[in-house]
Amino acid sequence: MKNRVEQALKAAGLKTFEETCYLYPVPELKEIQEMLPLEAAAEVKYRGDFTGRILIETRGGLFRAIAVNMLSSQDPTGEQKIDALGEMANIICGNVIPALGGVSQGYRIEAPKNIPLSEAQNNLLGEPLVWTVLNLNQGRADLKFYVDGYYPAPEKKT
Amino acid sequence: MALNTLVVDDSSVMRSIIIKTLKLAGLSLGAVLEAGNGQEGLKLLEDNWVDLALVDIHMPVMDGEEMINRLRQNKEYHDLPVIIVSSESDSARIEMLQKTGATFMHKPFTPETLREAIIEVTGVSHEE
Repeated sequence: MKNRVEQALKAAGLKTFEETCYLYPVPELKEIQEMLPLEAAAEVKYRGDFTGRILIETRGGLFRAIAVNMLSSQDPTGEQKIDALGEMANIICGNVIPALGGVSQGYRIEAPKNIPLSEAQNNLLGEPLVWTVLNLNQGRADLKFYVDGYYPAPEKKT
Repeated sequence: MALNTLVVDDSSVMRSIIIKTLKLAGLSLGAVLEAGNGQEGLKLLEDNWVDLALVDIHMPVMDGEEMINRLRQNKEYHDLPVIIVSSESDSARIEMLQKTGATFMHKPFTPETLREAIIEVTGVSHEE
C-alpha cells in the first residue's frame, strides 16, 4: 500500500509542478536543501472509501516560485501565494485519489486550506502514511499523505 | 475567427493559469472574461457574447453543474461549447456532467491538451 501511495503521490506531484507552474525536478537532494526551513503549508481533505488529507509544504523559495510561475507575476501578494499553494494541493489530491482507488469510488475533495506554520512546524498533524520529497529547480516540496485512523510508527522521509 | 472566452473559477490564481495556458495554446483569442462563480458567469453572458466557456465545478454561490444546466435551458446559449476544468475525481459525477454536452478536462493540463479540447468542442482550429 505504502509503495503504491508513494508512487502515485510523487507522480502526481511532479506532473502538477511541471504542467501548472513549469517547475522541474533536479536529480539530487543536496545536503543544504535538507536543512531548509519551512515556508508554508496547505492541505486538502478527501472523503471516500477512506478519508484523510494531503499536505504540501514548501522550502527554499518554492512558495514564491509557485505563485510567480502560475501568475507570470514577479510580485505576487501574500494571498496569491497562499491561493497558489492551495491550488497545487488541490490538483495533486485530485490526481492521487483516483490513482489509488479508481475514479468510480465516489471520492470528494474539499477546498484547500492554509495550515499555520506553527502547526506544520510542530508536526501537529501527526505522522503521515507516506512522506515524499520533490527536489525542484526552485525549491523543495514535501508531500505528505494521511489516512484517518492510520497511525504508522515514525518513519524517515523517502 | 477570434474566440471570445469566459473563464469561471472561484480561484483567481486558477483563472490566471487557465488564461495563461489559453494564450500558450496557439489559438486566436478574442476577449477573455472572468467570473468567480456560475452566477457571475451567467450575468456576464447577459451583456457579452462568448464562443466558449471554461468552467470549474466546485464553486460557492452557484457551482459549475448548475451553471451548465442553466446554460442548456437558455435560448441564446443552449449550445455554447463548454469545457469543465476541474480536479473532480468522481467518475459518476463526471459522466453526468458530460451528458450536458460539456467536455471534461482534468487538472493539471498543458497548452496542447487545452488546444485539443477547444478544437474538439468548437469544431474549429481557430489558428492564431
